[in-house]
Amino acid sequence: MKKNDGAARRWPWLLGYAIVLAGSACAAAQQPADFSATHSGHNEFVIKNATLLTATHGRVEHGSIYVKDGKIAAFGASVAAPATAPVIDAEGKYVTPGIIDSHSHMALDDDINEATSPVVPQMMMKDAFDYNDKAIYRALAGGVTSSLLLHGSADMIGGQAVVIKTKYGLDRDQMLFPGAPQSIKFASGENPKRVFGDKKQLPSTRMGNFEVMREAFTQAKDYQRGWDEYNEKVKRGDKTATAPKKDLKLEALSQVMQGKMLVQIHCYRSDEMLTEIAIANEFGYKIRAFHHALEAYKVPDALAKNDIAIATFADWWGYKYEAWDAIPWNAAIAMQHGVKVAIKSDSDDFMRRLNQEAGKTMRYGGVSEDEAIKMLTINPAWIVGVDDKTGSIDVGKDADLVLWEGYPLSSFGVPQKVWIDGDVYFNRGLAGLGMPQYQEGQ
Amino acid sequence: MTKAAKTFALTASLLLTLAATAQQRSSAPKNAVAPTAAIDPSKPIAITGGKLLTMTHGTIENGVLVIENGKIAAVGAAGSVHVPAGAQVVDAKGMTVYPGLIDSETHLGLTEINAEKNTNDLVEPSDEIMPHMHVADAFHAETALIPVARYNGITNAIVAPDSKDTLPGQDSFIQLAGADATQMLLVRDIAMPLNFTGKQRRNETFATAQYPQTRMGMAAQMRQAFTDAQGYAAKWDEYNKKKAAAKAGDAPPTAPAHDLKLEALLPYLEGKKPVIVKAEEPSDVETAYALGQEFKLHMVLNGLTQSQGIYDKIAQWKLPVIVGSIYDAPKEWARYDSVYKMPGELAKRGVKIAFASFDAHQVRNLPYAAGMAVAFGLLQDEAMKALTLYPAQIWGVDDQLGSLDVGKTANVVVANGDPLDVKTEVKHVFIQGREIPLVNRQTELRDRYQGKP
Repeated sequence: MKKNDGAARRWPWLLGYAIVLAGSACAAAQQPADFSATHSGHNEFVIKNATLLTATHGRVEHGSIYVKDGKIAAFGASVAAPATAPVIDAEGKYVTPGIIDSHSHMALDDDINEATSPVVPQMMMKDAFDYNDKAIYRALAGGVTSSLLLHGSADMIGGQAVVIKTKYGLDRDQMLFPGAPQSIKFASGENPKRVFGDKKQLPSTRMGNFEVMREAFTQAKDYQRGWDEYNEKVKRGDKTATAPKKDLKLEALSQVMQGKMLVQIHCYRSDEMLTEIAIANEFGYKIRAFHHALEAYKVPDALAKNDIAIATFADWWGYKYEAWDAIPWNAAIAMQHGVKVAIKSDSDDFMRRLNQEAGKTMRYGGVSEDEAIKMLTINPAWIVGVDDKTGSIDVGKDADLVLWEGYPLSSFGVPQKVWIDGDVYFNRGLAGLGMPQYQEGQ
Repeated sequence: MTKAAKTFALTASLLLTLAATAQQRSSAPKNAVAPTAAIDPSKPIAITGGKLLTMTHGTIENGVLVIENGKIAAVGAAGSVHVPAGAQVVDAKGMTVYPGLIDSETHLGLTEINAEKNTNDLVEPSDEIMPHMHVADAFHAETALIPVARYNGITNAIVAPDSKDTLPGQDSFIQLAGADATQMLLVRDIAMPLNFTGKQRRNETFATAQYPQTRMGMAAQMRQAFTDAQGYAAKWDEYNKKKAAAKAGDAPPTAPAHDLKLEALLPYLEGKKPVIVKAEEPSDVETAYALGQEFKLHMVLNGLTQSQGIYDKIAQWKLPVIVGSIYDAPKEWARYDSVYKMPGELAKRGVKIAFASFDAHQVRNLPYAAGMAVAFGLLQDEAMKALTLYPAQIWGVDDQLGSLDVGKTANVVVANGDPLDVKTEVKHVFIQGREIPLVNRQTELRDRYQGKP
């Protein structure tokens, strides 16, 4: 930024910004210069005077957070912390939990759809995860600290997702979310029928779509029975027992039926949601969330009753016929009926400003600040299955935090700093890309 | 203002007046608008107590705006404005009152559902040089998308073809309400896009490539088209001269054959109407600008999302710029906010900017792009002007639109907060002094399903 007489007038937030920098200068000084140590997870600091939007305890004015060893050690109107802990004065600023994007295809180098078969549950998105993709940095700069990277929607049963923390600059395995449960992506509707229909293959209709699914699960049931019988024989000491062939595809479906995976279903139309629920009941698995779910407002009670969340857009519509009945009140109506709602990106663009998208739910349907924050944090964390670890400002949770200049649920909220596990991964005040953990050419 | 621009502005405003007259004569508008029961447009309307963002003479707290006969009849602070007897009062206490927003590039009326081919009339891809395509011929006035856009206070827009061709056709300037397409198309063929982003190349693969496969091809093809049009004009000039000079009894000169494609380029070669030059990279911006200079085109720039390095140079060109989209991804090596900052950086250098949604379904989100630009350095007041006054000036309709000034068309929005904020709700929209019911396909679906037990 060049010096400019008009700078203060044009960028009044810069003035406030200097305060943060001054406040955090000592924190920065505490961090060892050595790269490997800066993400040690052992930083200790206090943020004070911030408006905390906690997601689970409402709003705390002039609040403080004490972070130690990568976790939130305390928060509230005041915190007890050692005098040696560096203090960041966040007067006039907001702190929220890091945003969780429960539907992303970033950092997969366009290897999103293995569309050569409509059933590919043996695909592991981790195998395509391109941890150098700058999209991760841009999501991080928008306040996203965790993302669920999903297989695409070309297939009725897609691959297994990978959950990452957006620690741009670290290596692949350091970015994987430790202990996150395994999610799997299913789809329905126009995409599978178009992709395979265009190839003159099954499925080319919604009948075909669901038949393909039932077929796959029926095979998986037989497969499972084969193994059950084999295991039973072995248990009886039957030496003649021969093990069935391991089939990774059917193995994965078998795990779905055993409840070992979180089932994430791309589904637009309300009638298809009902069919998906019926099929899940038939084969004995639970649906974690419908994604896109633009017609959830038509059947919110069915979703609430089955404890199915939605990961939806704030106001996208009309890009295809099954998105023609989308309304921007979808999130609010579903929420009012007791459905857990997450606002997700499904886009390398929207993931950079999910805060604004959540703000729209306040305009369309009068969602409260607290509920809008939940749609960005604890609700998507639940969808991903990491709500015990992140997604709110709670003692013992990962210190995944965003410091905002400007009200986050507005057009004007801009992340100034993003911490993941207590380490700063994005700092807007830094020159260049604003990443203390990464240098170009690294 | 250049002479050409003035001529253009005059023509545009004349057309606007004609359109306005047509509107007043007509019965209640159809598409788009069912007549509202609450407010009678034939009687004066007074919007009182609001914060008026006038765009030309500052902000008036506790202001009064009077609408009569579809025009703004008075604007001022409470007490200083005469409210006519019998005026219908709209209480705008605690509200913001501002001119209807203008979206400087949309595809409204050219698409309904992106993925459904039969609902799209976005661009004629058979050739790249298609200046004789007129979006006005495809404009679908009854589109469900327009009431959705109006819901957030967008009252006017440029309708442009998709940018797959270098010269895809001619834009129209619309009003988002009216009985039919005739009334909504305020200015047909208002401008011509010239796209030079590289996406116009036909170079999918070497095996299937067609001319122009490269940027050289794109430029050469356009240069040839403009040159052909110059030759065409010269032939007609010569013919007209001969015809004028012909004496009685002389054999009449033979008229040249008509060519609609070349004819369509003539107003632009004469500088009578603006050419909207879209490019993103510095190299493309400079090539396209040079091409415009070569043929003395009256240019408006568009895009510029990757041109951070040449902002100073662009500012020296003294051309208006349609910014964005600011949501375009930055280059791999660039800082995350390099595109977000573009509107602020250009405005700081004295460039007149205007915002556009570059979309159809998301026209309603136009003000939020401006809001985000404010978060990244654009002054709030400039951002509002870039949605109202500046586009009105760029499109030559500022004698009618773009500010809260007496005599202008009463396109007025009343909202419960900052127009640029995602949380703000638009409460009233007036177009030509008629209150537009804030009802659309989506509110109807909402009401239908919310009423369900």
